[in-house]
Amino acid sequence: MKTNRMATQVKESAPIDDRVLDAMIGQTRPRIERAMKILRRPQARVGVISSPLGRLLIAESDRGLAAIHFLFISGGERTLEMLRRKFDLIENEASARRIGAEIDRVFEGDFSATAHPVDLSLVESDFQRRTYTSLRKVPPGAVITYHGLAATVGQPDSQRAIGNTMASNPIPIFVPCHRVIRSDGTIGNYGGGVDNKIKLLRAEGFEVGRDLRLPALAVMGHRRTGIFCRPGCSAARRADPAKMLIFADARCAGQAGLRACKLCKPA
Amino acid sequence: MMIAGSRLASNAARRLRTNGIGATRLDSRIGSSGVIDIVMGRVNEIGIPPPFEAAVKSMEREIMRFLMRSTGDREDAMDLFQETWLRAYRAYPTLQSEDGLRPWIFRIASNLCRNRARDRMRRGRVIANENPDGAAPADNAPNQLDGGPEGALHLKRAISRLPGKQGQALMMRKFAGLEYTEIGTALNCSAESARASVYQAVKKLKKLRLDE
Repeated sequence: MKTNRMATQVKESAPIDDRVLDAMIGQTRPRIERAMKILRRPQARVGVISSPLGRLLIAESDRGLAAIHFLFISGGERTLEMLRRKFDLIENEASARRIGAEIDRVFEGDFSATAHPVDLSLVESDFQRRTYTSLRKVPPGAVITYHGLAATVGQPDSQRAIGNTMASNPIPIFVPCHRVIRSDGTIGNYGGGVDNKIKLLRAEGFEVGRDLRLPALAVMGHRRTGIFCRPGCSAARRADPAKMLIFADARCAGQAGLRACKLCKPA
Repeated sequence: MMIAGSRLASNAARRLRTNGIGATRLDSRIGSSGVIDIVMGRVNEIGIPPPFEAAVKSMEREIMRFLMRSTGDREDAMDLFQETWLRAYRAYPTLQSEDGLRPWIFRIASNLCRNRARDRMRRGRVIANENPDGAAPADNAPNQLDGGPEGALHLKRAISRLPGKQGQALMMRKFAGLEYTEIGTALNCSAESARASVYQAVKKLKKLRLDE
């Protein structure tokens, strides 16, 4: 006897009706639902958009923006894999387009867009989470050095770790890693390409030259005293460089709530 | 120049079919080549998998049927169904390609069946509950393999007595209709080995019949 015939016979003699199966599936469903309440990963809406910075993969959860990936840079698979571990992904172009519109607004000079809440679920280490949180406090129109950012996190000698942290920033633009530069005044590197870093900094008021340096107009702001000076001011030289933010110009510093130094009168 | 450009583009298209992300990289090299941009606009081209529920929904019955045939017990099947579902959900992010979904989920189900059978053995209980008195399932079973529904029932018993892998492979092949490559993935062996298992299983069943 052919096995297929045997199989048919088994099927016919002890049939498992679809209705029986459906009833059984129906019975398990409440149990599964209960268990899923504990297991279920939060949802994230994912989409691809074109932006002035190139094509971006954007993921947003209910808590905020979870990831942005420059698609022309490799590593997209890894980003997706990390996202899948933490979230149930849903394709949603509309959500991505909304974020895209906010990025466009940055280039029109409206920086309030980057205040969009972020979801740092993809960040594994506490150090990195703290770094991103304090980096978010650097306002548009200002930059900070790797060294200075390390100091704000409370580990002034860890500028290398800060560098790595910036390189693995899951949410560029919104966690403004483009606002972190080198202590020598050159703008340093960027995960989305140096060109994009220049674009972003220019949009925020820095006239970055071809030598990748900040313009001479930039002023130094002291985060503690709330005073900003010209770079050569004697008061600024005495201050701890780690406490310094660099502003595009006196206006930006003023907007951030700092007052002009009375010695060098930058404003 | 034109020729080089179009060759690049067609290469990119080929890459795109095999690997969405690979195409992304090429995309940047070509610049804003219209066609690829349009294709890239679709999120799924970069490999966003469908949500778990949507992906698995169509396989619910199949899995339940498989579990029912494997365990032969309603409660057990429902239990394992729940377990299969939850495990699959938890491990879903590690599944690389959607094509592998079916054998992958069968693998989870068959692993769970095997684990359960082993646990039962350890506790010294009888797996087949057709014989509540604990005797070996009717030894005259093969004699009736040919005859009608009764014989089929005995055949079912005979299948349940096949060695684990052979029984599972046979069931996946003959009842669930999986391809040999899929069975191979599900049972963590090669397609050839899966084919051999099914063959051995069939041979054993035939032998039972000839022994009458």
